[in-house]
Amino acid sequence: MGLLDFLFPKRIHKADFVRHYEDAFSKPIPPLRKIPQLQFTVLDTETTGLDIRRDEILSFGAVKVKGYLIEVKDSIELYLDTEKFKKESVAVHQILNPSDTLSKLGFAEAFLAYIGTDILVGHHLGFDIQMLEKTLRPFGLAKILNPLLDTHGLAFRLEKGPFAQKIPMKPGEYALDEVCARYGIPLDDRHTAAGDAFLTAQLLMKLLKLAEQKGIADFRSLIR
Amino acid sequence: MSNVIINRVQEFLKRFPPFYFLDERSLTVVASAVEVRYHGRGEYLFRRGEPAQQFFFVLKEGQVHLLAQDGMSTKVAEVCDEGDVFGVLALLGKRPYILDALAIEDSLVYAVPVAVFEKILQENSRVALFFAAGFASGQLVVRKDLSQSQKARTAFQDISKDNGLMIFTGQSDWRFSKEVLTCPSGLAIQNAARLMAERGVGSIVVVNESHHPLGIITDKDLRNKVVAQGLSMATPVEKLMSSPVLTKSQDAGFSDLYLSMIKNRLHHLIITQDGTDSSPVCGILSDHDILLSQGNSPAVLIHALMNTWDIQEMAKIRDQAEKLLKYYLENEVSMDFVASVITEVNDTIIQRSVQLAVEKHAVGYSEFADLKFCFLSLGSEGREEQLLRTDLDNAIVYEDVADSDAEKAQAFMQLIGQEVIESLMACGFRACPAEMMANNPQWCQPVSAWKKYFSDWILSPNQKALLNATIFFDFRPVYGETSLATALSSHIYQEIADRSIFLNFLAKNALTNPPPLGFFKNFLVEKSGEQKDKFDIKLRAMMPLADIARLLVLSHRVVGINNTFKRFEKLAELEPNYVELMQESGKAYEILMRMRAIEGLNTQTDGRYIDPGSLGKLQRQLLKNAFAPIDELQKIVQVRYQLDFFKG
Repeated sequence: MGLLDFLFPKRIHKADFVRHYEDAFSKPIPPLRKIPQLQFTVLDTETTGLDIRRDEILSFGAVKVKGYLIEVKDSIELYLDTEKFKKESVAVHQILNPSDTLSKLGFAEAFLAYIGTDILVGHHLGFDIQMLEKTLRPFGLAKILNPLLDTHGLAFRLEKGPFAQKIPMKPGEYALDEVCARYGIPLDDRHTAAGDAFLTAQLLMKLLKLAEQKGIADFRSLIR
Repeated sequence: MSNVIINRVQEFLKRFPPFYFLDERSLTVVASAVEVRYHGRGEYLFRRGEPAQQFFFVLKEGQVHLLAQDGMSTKVAEVCDEGDVFGVLALLGKRPYILDALAIEDSLVYAVPVAVFEKILQENSRVALFFAAGFASGQLVVRKDLSQSQKARTAFQDISKDNGLMIFTGQSDWRFSKEVLTCPSGLAIQNAARLMAERGVGSIVVVNESHHPLGIITDKDLRNKVVAQGLSMATPVEKLMSSPVLTKSQDAGFSDLYLSMIKNRLHHLIITQDGTDSSPVCGILSDHDILLSQGNSPAVLIHALMNTWDIQEMAKIRDQAEKLLKYYLENEVSMDFVASVITEVNDTIIQRSVQLAVEKHAVGYSEFADLKFCFLSLGSEGREEQLLRTDLDNAIVYEDVADSDAEKAQAFMQLIGQEVIESLMACGFRACPAEMMANNPQWCQPVSAWKKYFSDWILSPNQKALLNATIFFDFRPVYGETSLATALSSHIYQEIADRSIFLNFLAKNALTNPPPLGFFKNFLVEKSGEQKDKFDIKLRAMMPLADIARLLVLSHRVVGINNTFKRFEKLAELEPNYVELMQESGKAYEILMRMRAIEGLNTQTDGRYIDPGSLGKLQRQLLKNAFAPIDELQKIVQVRYQLDFFKG
């Protein structure tokens, strides 16, 4: 322990799979690429709680959307080993003892391999991204580099127009349950990561179609 | 795979027939193969006349109407709600859809691949029975309760006679020509041919005095039997005609007619009054008529392309062209024709895309409204050989502008390039992994920059330059100012004339491709990787031929022939010593193109890697024969360019 260690924290070694993931971003998505050609990974995580510093990811689920199509066989769900298994979260998510859990390393590798350079989509995506970045930091990932698209923000933008003030909003008006109900998507079993991702993917397809009708037709105008 | 999601799909499916007959295990198999598709209100899931997709559909949410054409008007034949299964009939009959499926509301549809379901049909007799019963009663939609199917049947009764299990369209739609050219037996073939020429038809039916058909003579017979064998022009028609002929009655169902033609490999079918050959001829049906009746002739496709500015629509037409391609390949239509048709379709799509792009982006660049530019296709598309939508290779050349304008002109041209590439990708073309595309700034340049590229490659032919040469030297103007392309061609020839050693480098490069066959005349296959044990038909067989054709054509300073097999045809003229070899090489290339395209269509890949084990004995022999000219050509190149003494 050196005296100045707090100033120069030990550099984290960057794992090969992280380097591999980062290298793939040397080619950006062309701004004029049309929505049906874009590849999305729609994801959700379930966590032990809402505190980014202390809580941890319990499970991760995702599906891919391209050209208004989801292939069930391309879906994924991952469960993590975790010591923090809070009672409350068990009640909400009903995850007790999933059989195949992954170590953080296994999870990090599988996660990055799955998302590639896709556009990441989620409902209130910011929280999921922060949790994922925290989980992957020990392997040398500084930041998730994929373009991000929040269905919450997109629904808001499409309904209220691009210049609407975000402040006067009824609490819960744009929660996933609410938005799905408004777009006629039945809520079967919420609160599993994969289930929510599947639901969000259906919502995404509806919103994208709406966006195309409003003249938001390519990558550049979708991801501002 | 996510069990939660499979489970969710499964839970939904098992509430409805025929899925509730399935056991848990089969249901899981079905559910994990499902595609979830989203269709906005007003979109068609499929249209009448389109070939059946490899899926049938279960409506998850929303509402879909099945629409039938009733004379001039359209009427709703069936309303599909949650859990209804539709699109099955076409699938089982292996024929195009007879109805339009229109999303009346935003709809979520589960598409079940037929391959998965067919297996289950075999294993589970109850499911098979369920389907069979439904279809025997002319039911359109598979429903939860059977009384509803009763209702469906009555609603559909009045038009059902047009919708039996026929192969293609309804019977009322098939047309045959009633004006049949006939001649009595005893007529000299020259006179018969004259009659055919006068009427502009490809066949003549030989009849007896009661107008009963005796045989048929086609264009092909004249070529194969008369001209090729030097038969006398005075030979009577009965010596030449194909006989006996296959006859059908005009009341025969279309499927019956069509299947007879397929099974007997016939191009023409004669229609007689009672369907036997001892009754008068009243019509003739050719496979050409069948193509036309499906709206699938190249003319129809190009016409449709010229009438739309909608990318989605263009994409659909391109998909249709692929079906046409498959038909052509299976029926051994000449490669020259096939390649021209597909190139024409591709070119039209590119031209429309460029026009759309210019229109869209001209707003900010009004000062360049008159800027001359040319969109070039490169590589296989440049050689008019791209049958499948494999990698895009293209570029833009534009006229030189004043230095002060250079930056903005390039920005404008790049925007066009980007837009066109995106449109083409929306039409199902794949991007070039090496990014030799018009959206790459490097390949979107003024004519002076292009001339410099070509000069550099010719003056310092290193490995990379030679690779570029093999792709860029096959450029072909597709849209815009062709004089820019012509200027580049003459520049290339000028540079090569000044530095003919370049051709030696190009020759050396043309011989670097690995050989197709090993010492024991076995196929040399990939040793490792994803394509292990597969044969790389592009690298080992097609590239050597294309490379040598290019080299020799350049050495003869031939302009304007891009096609590899046409290049060989031309070379047969230019090199009298090697007429036969050049002709064989051209033929070999055609065969390879055909094999690759068929492989690609069957495996939904670019067809580059072929599994020799999957080929029949005949195909294997055909492929090996196609390699023979490669070896010989390479020897000629070796000697002509003195490559034994030349250290490139």
